[in-house]
Amino acid sequence: MLKYILQRLLYMIPVMFVISILIFVTIQLPPGDPISKMMENQRTQINVQFSEQDLEMMRARYGYGGPLHEQYIKWIGNILLHGDFGYSFYKREAAGKVIADLMPLTLVVSIGSFIFTWVVALPIGVLSAVRQYSIADHIFTFIGFIGLAIPNFLLALILLVLGLTMFQTSFTGLFSSGEIQQAPWSLAKVGDLLKHIWIPMIVIGMGGTAGLIRIMRANLLDELHKPYVEAARARGLSELRLLIKYPIRHAMNPFVSGFAYLLPSLVAGEAIVAIVMNLPTEGPVLLNALLNLDVFLGGGFLLILSLLTLVSTLLSDILLAWLDPRIRYGS
Amino acid sequence: MATEANKEANDIVENDEVVLSAEALTMGEAAERVAMASQWQLMWWKFRKHRLALISLVVIIIFYIVSIFAGFFAPKTSDPSVLQTPTYTPPGYTHQSEYVNSPPMPIHWFDSGAFAPYVYAFKKTRDPDTLVETFTIDPETKIRLGFFVHGDKYQVGLHGTPVCPPEWSDNLICIVLNPVLRFVRNIHFTSEVHFFGPVNPEDPFYPVGADEVGRDLLSRLIYASQISLSIGLIGVALTLLLGILLGGLSGLVGGWVDNLIQRSIEVLRAIPDIPLWMALAIAMPPKLDPVFVYFGITIILSLLRWTDMARVVRGKFMSLREEDFITAAVLDGVPRYRIIMKHMVPSFMSHIIASMTLSIPGMILGESALSFLGIGLRPPVVSWGVMLSKAINVVVVISKPWLLLPGLAIFVTILAFNFLGDGLRDAADPYHT
Amino acid sequence: MEKMSETLVEVKDLKIHFFTDEGVVRAVDGIDLDVKRGKTLALVGESGCGKSVACRSFLQIVHSPGRIVSGEILYTRKNENGQGEVVDIARLNPHGRRIRSIRGKEIAMIFQEPMTSLSPMYTVGNQITETIRLHTEATKQEAWQMAIDLLDKVDIPKPDRLVEEYPFRLSGGMRQRAMIAMALSCNPTMLIADEPTTALDVTTQANILDLMLDLQQQYHMTLLFITHDLGVVAEIADEVAVMYLGKIVEKSDVNTIFNEPKHPYTQALLRSIPKIAVTREELDPIKGMVPNPYRRPGGCPFHPRCAKAMAECRTVVPAVTQLNDNHTVQCLLYEDLVGEKAMEQAK
Repeated sequence: MLKYILQRLLYMIPVMFVISILIFVTIQLPPGDPISKMMENQRTQINVQFSEQDLEMMRARYGYGGPLHEQYIKWIGNILLHGDFGYSFYKREAAGKVIADLMPLTLVVSIGSFIFTWVVALPIGVLSAVRQYSIADHIFTFIGFIGLAIPNFLLALILLVLGLTMFQTSFTGLFSSGEIQQAPWSLAKVGDLLKHIWIPMIVIGMGGTAGLIRIMRANLLDELHKPYVEAARARGLSELRLLIKYPIRHAMNPFVSGFAYLLPSLVAGEAIVAIVMNLPTEGPVLLNALLNLDVFLGGGFLLILSLLTLVSTLLSDILLAWLDPRIRYGS
Repeated sequence: MATEANKEANDIVENDEVVLSAEALTMGEAAERVAMASQWQLMWWKFRKHRLALISLVVIIIFYIVSIFAGFFAPKTSDPSVLQTPTYTPPGYTHQSEYVNSPPMPIHWFDSGAFAPYVYAFKKTRDPDTLVETFTIDPETKIRLGFFVHGDKYQVGLHGTPVCPPEWSDNLICIVLNPVLRFVRNIHFTSEVHFFGPVNPEDPFYPVGADEVGRDLLSRLIYASQISLSIGLIGVALTLLLGILLGGLSGLVGGWVDNLIQRSIEVLRAIPDIPLWMALAIAMPPKLDPVFVYFGITIILSLLRWTDMARVVRGKFMSLREEDFITAAVLDGVPRYRIIMKHMVPSFMSHIIASMTLSIPGMILGESALSFLGIGLRPPVVSWGVMLSKAINVVVVISKPWLLLPGLAIFVTILAFNFLGDGLRDAADPYHT
Repeated sequence: MEKMSETLVEVKDLKIHFFTDEGVVRAVDGIDLDVKRGKTLALVGESGCGKSVACRSFLQIVHSPGRIVSGEILYTRKNENGQGEVVDIARLNPHGRRIRSIRGKEIAMIFQEPMTSLSPMYTVGNQITETIRLHTEATKQEAWQMAIDLLDKVDIPKPDRLVEEYPFRLSGGMRQRAMIAMALSCNPTMLIADEPTTALDVTTQANILDLMLDLQQQYHMTLLFITHDLGVVAEIADEVAVMYLGKIVEKSDVNTIFNEPKHPYTQALLRSIPKIAVTREELDPIKGMVPNPYRRPGGCPFHPRCAKAMAECRTVVPAVTQLNDNHTVQCLLYEDLVGEKAMEQAK
């Protein structure tokens, strides 16, 4: 098992290398360079002044103006050797710090949505399969289809409108006020977060939940009439024990492998919802970084998000091998 | 218990033949009918049972018909004063400045007992306290409506086909392509008959409200469907092309080709889609011609999505290679491309169609998400996502909820495609009960 | 002799119908059966004749949309005081406690597919001890030791290692042995075997059959054996019931069935078996196909394929004809015969 995990970890290195090249090229695609863009921004907001000397220094430091491959080596070298993601021209601080500041809440929201998705989808999927064609099944199937069909940014918008018109509260943000958001972590701050996080969680998790319910239902329906279920029933197991030990356990596989794509897609979906709901997470900052040609911040975000995807794929594979002896024995 | 029967048993060969003779032919007439029917017939029989999928198919067909004949179904049409580019004529609309941000006008179908649809005109009144302008019904002015009324001129056909801009006229591809494109462009007809609208074309008619320059939202919604509905189809076609090509190559050739393609898929799948779409969409120069933006967005959307299709195709090829009927064909000396085209492709085409249908919603969602954020398609191009981007501000939505209407259109379309895809997927496996 | 043929399960006019969208399928259409204690009854027929459904009803595990519509399955069980008690299984709640205490403990079942009848997620030991712990007071360790003993009893080599293996790591024959071990775990009174050897290769088949006969003697088990393979029937059965489209068309002891088959279907089945003979004969398969279950032929269900069909066979449903004490047949040919006999006697 350990060998398997090590193998997978080693395997991630070349994949990550190719991804980093792709990301770098993508980030470099828009015409113009971030340093000129910053100059342009400076002209409009004169608060912060960078001398031409500063800019030259930065150009030299990041190899700006040099050939693309040199720039790449400089970029990835700084990240790997010094953990330096470069300077965010848009946020005017170290890109690594911007990312580090935003990632915890991004992960909290994403993992929260993920848990929401699982906790809701598992029992509903089981119920829908076991009571196939019952009223509950029809209702959940219908809600599931609606959940799949409504774009999450639209759902966010509708909830915001409902919040303002029906409850006279704003569902935007993750905290009651800016001060709380800036304040250091405390129990009160966590409580405030918990009060606000559930709306984004539902919005982000909606599509995934609907999809997972359908997967769970279909898988379980497949498993319910397998010979080993009948054999176990013939041994005298009660229906509930039977259901939990055999079909549900078997149907869990795709559920677990869903972990690999679900978490990244939630992080990605979070981006748009975060923009609409004005959440203090990576979404709005990433969009602005990209719009402002902030190469280092944008590239850093994409790199971290890709790494997250790879890690969650690895986790789900390990979990699968642990759950399913067939995978463990490589059959 | 050593009886004669047991002795006889020793004489009996325990052989598959025994099984065969008793077991082989067990089906009845219905099964016979099933066995004789073609694969597509079976699929149709099974599909018919899926009521929601059938309704969805009808809805989708109606949507596409309305979209193709947008000029006919939209009550209002283009206004030549709207910004145009060399290759793109945006669907503009007669707009009336006094109806800026007008709410929907309720249609009255009967007038004093007889069928005579009309709407009341609106008049603006200013609230003396808040000084806010509001629209109120003007009971004096009835605007008569009718079916097949004469109104703005419009074109239906392939007049929107892009041609090379004049500055590229010495480009070889353009020299070859332009005559063809011009010919295609000519396939259209012009008319001024509208399905439903005001009898007097000058009259204001805003059944679902107006936008911020006084254009009819219903007409814009109908014209926008041309982009939103086609981007899904073109994107899926691209996905399919890439998926079948690379997935098929992977599954058929195997070896290092398979390895390379599989590793590329892994790399692409590790990049989160929406952030990458955002990065790529922003990479497109803002001054780019709308037609190129349209294709650019489509390509961006398909770039990550083909991997799913490739996996399906590869898996199918891999498992089919092991099937007996393929082995039989190989042993019979049937040429390879023939085996692929005649035996392999038809046997998984139905699955491909089903998963294609199910991936259209993703494309439509992607486009609308990007356009909604203002980094996808941009005005003067109009898509449902572009229209929705006006609703990004909650305060605006509260005062003008009809701006969310494009969201409803997206919702219905995706719902229909999901139901249809579901029905197709069930039907794709006709032998599965 | 009387004591030997004590009835364990008596099936009376059992009807199991499947209610599908396309219509009602009469999978089991009024059958009568006597399963005698300690004996082997073979239920023979082509696939789709309802034999599997019939035997599943003994455990109330007929899956939906199938349902026992009418009839009785009278099972004589010994209650706590050691006295006989007759239970009508057909009337037990399929999810109830009573049927669950019969399943696996008093009536065990093994299935056709040893590959898929064991879950690949759990070890063999886990699945065997599950049954033991369910029906007995054994502790985990005791149950585990019992599982090893059972595996030893079904001739599995190195049972203490195999008990920790996953089923997919075993060969088909080994899996079926494990299934048998599991079925034996609670000393069942009756074992239902639904084509237990069909999915195995010929040599393994023979081994498994020998093992089952051996264990039947050891455990004094009643065996209900479902098969389409007449060779197997000849080897193991005491009594034979031949099923066709949900009806038992002929029923007798194994000698009578093989030597004096009366029903044209039984005769045809026997003719379709290849025999080792000096002269090469053509095989004589039964003509035609099993009809569509939704459109059963009227009259005798076998008449479209019957070589001896008469005009009346299309309309008249043959009744059960008692040829002698231990031989019944459901065919118009013999109905007349008995009638004539009776008339003669009357004269």
